[in-house]
Amino acid sequence: MRRSKALHYGAKKKPDYVRKQSYRFSRRALLVGGAQAGLFGLLGWRLHQLQIEEASDYRLLSDENRLMIQLAAPSRGSIRDRTGAILAEDKENLRLLVVPAFSKNLPETLDRLSRIVDIPRGARDRVMRAAARQSGYYPVLVAEGLTWRQFALLNVLAPQIPGMQTDRSAYRKYHHARPMAHLVGYVGMAGKEEVDLDPVMRLPGFRAGRAGVEKTFDEQLRGTPGTQKFEVDSRGRVVRELGSTPSTPGKDLVLSIDHHLQAVAQERLKEHRVASVVVLDVETGGILALASTPTFDPNEVVFKVDPRAWGRIARAKDQPLQNRAIRGQYPPGSTFKVVTALAGLHAGVITPRETMSCPGVYRLGRARFRCWRAHGGGIDVHQALKQSCDVYFYETAKRMGIDHLAAVARHLGMGRVYDCGLPGQKEGIIPDVAWKRAHLMEPWYGGETVIAGIGQGFVSSTPLQLAVMASRVATGRAVLPKLVLTPDDPEPDWPALQLDPRHLDIVRKGMFGVVNEPRGTARRSALEIPGVMMAGKTGTSQVVNAHNEHKLSPYERETHALFIAYAPADKPRYAAACVVEHGGGGSSAAAPIVKDVMTEALLRDSAKAPAFAGLSRDEVARQVAVAGDDG
Amino acid sequence: MKMLFAQGPAVKLDLAKKLLLLNWPFLALITAIVLIGIAALYSVAGGSFDPWASRQVMRYCVGLALLFAIAFSDIRWWLKGAYPLFILALFLMALVPLIGVESGGARRWLGVGEMSFQPSEMMKIALVLAIARYYQWLPPEKIWRPDALIPPLLMIGVPALLALAQPDLGTAALFAIIGGGMMFLAGVSWFYFAGAIVAVVVALPHAWEMLHDYQKQRVLTFIDPETDPLGAGYHILQSKIAIGSGGFSGKGFMHGTQAQLNFLPEKHTDFIFTMFSEEMGFVGAVILLALYLLALVFITFMALRCRSMFAKLIAGGMGLTLFAYVFINVAMVTGLVPVVGVPLPLVSYGGTSMLTMMIGFGFVLNAHVNRRVTFRQSELGGLW
Repeated sequence: MRRSKALHYGAKKKPDYVRKQSYRFSRRALLVGGAQAGLFGLLGWRLHQLQIEEASDYRLLSDENRLMIQLAAPSRGSIRDRTGAILAEDKENLRLLVVPAFSKNLPETLDRLSRIVDIPRGARDRVMRAAARQSGYYPVLVAEGLTWRQFALLNVLAPQIPGMQTDRSAYRKYHHARPMAHLVGYVGMAGKEEVDLDPVMRLPGFRAGRAGVEKTFDEQLRGTPGTQKFEVDSRGRVVRELGSTPSTPGKDLVLSIDHHLQAVAQERLKEHRVASVVVLDVETGGILALASTPTFDPNEVVFKVDPRAWGRIARAKDQPLQNRAIRGQYPPGSTFKVVTALAGLHAGVITPRETMSCPGVYRLGRARFRCWRAHGGGIDVHQALKQSCDVYFYETAKRMGIDHLAAVARHLGMGRVYDCGLPGQKEGIIPDVAWKRAHLMEPWYGGETVIAGIGQGFVSSTPLQLAVMASRVATGRAVLPKLVLTPDDPEPDWPALQLDPRHLDIVRKGMFGVVNEPRGTARRSALEIPGVMMAGKTGTSQVVNAHNEHKLSPYERETHALFIAYAPADKPRYAAACVVEHGGGGSSAAAPIVKDVMTEALLRDSAKAPAFAGLSRDEVARQVAVAGDDG
Repeated sequence: MKMLFAQGPAVKLDLAKKLLLLNWPFLALITAIVLIGIAALYSVAGGSFDPWASRQVMRYCVGLALLFAIAFSDIRWWLKGAYPLFILALFLMALVPLIGVESGGARRWLGVGEMSFQPSEMMKIALVLAIARYYQWLPPEKIWRPDALIPPLLMIGVPALLALAQPDLGTAALFAIIGGGMMFLAGVSWFYFAGAIVAVVVALPHAWEMLHDYQKQRVLTFIDPETDPLGAGYHILQSKIAIGSGGFSGKGFMHGTQAQLNFLPEKHTDFIFTMFSEEMGFVGAVILLALYLLALVFITFMALRCRSMFAKLIAGGMGLTLFAYVFINVAMVTGLVPVVGVPLPLVSYGGTSMLTMMIGFGFVLNAHVNRRVTFRQSELGGLW
């Protein structure tokens, strides 16, 4: 029908279907639009019904029946040393908080609370600021470390002070705090970035590792928070608990440190302004002691944080927060001659028999390089190490060139950081031609090779690196430092160094001579234990150069004193390195420290004692109970 | 026949011209809605840009880039690409049950490395393009014929069935609403729609038998939420308490007790309107709805001004999508329809829905920029 009609009229004028369809679209689009508006009206009516007509009913329901979920902070894992002594643990902390949203009048609430608990001006301002900044339902910490009396009193008064909350959380307690401060580190309130990553961090009392082992192993130590569900009334009082998932405490850590040895080391460093000493177990690489002075007490930093106390520590003279053993970068001075000697023998530029004579000065072109003493003729590699003859090593370095020296230095573990759990390690510098071009955009000069041969110039390294170098020379294996003991770890089997064992032996004999033979530079620091010898190398590195000479104070002009050593010389077990900043000569300032610390290490022989393997559950409970009695 | 399609010259536009022709007020309107959403997400997180608000800003920026790219692209590409895109989306949806990632008892995602991708979202766009393409091709005088209904019904039916298999009732319903609405706009006779309604009423009891238990449960609790206040009815009841307790002027920004006390489920995604109206009250909720309605009015008028049926139907179809999302979501949280898990477009936290909506608006603006463009029959070819 339709078709015939179209045909009939189409002869003269075809009906404009396109236009018709367009009109139909417009009609229907308006119709659909109207329907949409109508349905939105329906939504509006529904909202009106809920929010205006029945609003009071719902408001009542909302007030009556509130669910509150609280996150329960997990207890942080403890840190122990190899003997099982606790270095860091969580202790109970009684705290007072307010939930601003439940408090009718926050200043007044704080006034009433301050009758029981001392709330200093600063804390009060902090609470007011926090309340203004974040949602009113996040509890804000007012005071912590309450006494039991205060805690009990507050709980009795709780119904009369809306918005007040008390809780029992944990704070971090550090034992052997000052010697261990740099290693163990400390915890602090989460920083802004961390809070952004994980809102759990905003929980009052949630602490994150800020330095040392606490920082590196933060995730293991931290644990996972649990939740507690409460039904609360409109004033935030708990009506009943609806259930909870417990928090999982963090894992415990055992360090390879021996806290006795660490304490001895720290005590021995005390007479110097800035100094550090490292003791390694050369077989496992375990760090037995790593002390740095000046130090600080992390307990002052973590509990009842007082910004002024923190600032005092952070800005104190000689920067106690810095761990010199891994962050101090010093020219290794003559201790580097061990590396130069090995590299020279390896390159074949010197032989064990070859002798040189030392007139007290070395000439390269027009430049003159001085030796600390005119050693005279007949200096072979053994004598050169023992008497620390500079001229011998100037010549050795010049003969082999800097790139070869740098390669051997790196092979001995220098110029790098170690993945042993200590954050903030410095790399030091083992320079070569490519390094200078990349960093200073200058070519390498021959004179720079000469002074690199005695560990001056661009060369710099940390005490930990020097200790690793000494361990590698002592064992002939590529030892790496380790700080954390894991019970089921196999004994490490370090790969052998790519150096000729005969060359290593020559260098070891030289180091033995340094301590035990006539004219050795550290002869006065020979061990006093019968039958046990130490091998070592002194170093006295120059700080002053032509550029900084006038700017430095007398203290700052003084040379750094260094000493590296291992013992027993015939069957090495311990290696040590010590640097005393501006301490004078290596033999007079650094070697005696190493002698005393090494003596302690050998007498205790803690590397041979079985390491702490973790406590059983009962033992943990007993220890906690004992610790509680002490408090 | 040639005469019918030769209404005007094929207009070629350069970018400067396109920038002028873009509907900037509409873009401002969308941005206003997004900003409200970001404020709401900031509040949900307890006064923090993390973890949600900051990421939502990023997604909006990505979405905006896509929107511009699509708005300024040549509409002819999309005319040519409509069917291939639809086939691709269909293929990906068919892949989901085979290699999809399971999450919360439903298989809706395809994992591509770290990213997950929901083919049904892509289908929402592809369906609109394909139906618009079909009615651009179909000579208007043939629109009444029953056999002309078969292709669009297949285009709607196959993806809807694939969505039901996932199972995703909400998306299947959305396909039906968008597709049916577009057919209506294109001019399909009223009688067919009347017939369809009758058929649905007859088929409903059978469809009920096919639903999964949790879907049945949702419908049942919707009918009487108070029977199980701590179980399945919990969401609706708590949502109503939250909205209702907001009252006329709301509890204030960041002071919604229901939401802030973790009382609401999915408070940053599907139930964000609840949180918003608890804190902002009746006034805020109505303003937000008015903004959406204004956006719909814009879209409708943009559709009316387009010359080609393709552009008209793209704008109309995207308008229907926006409407369906907003209506279903708000009706869901206010207890008017069962909880089906549909986000509030541009406001709910979620990358996929934000991107889908921004791409959709990109097509609306593309249609608007190309409102004078008409197509010759030669550009269309056959059904393909």
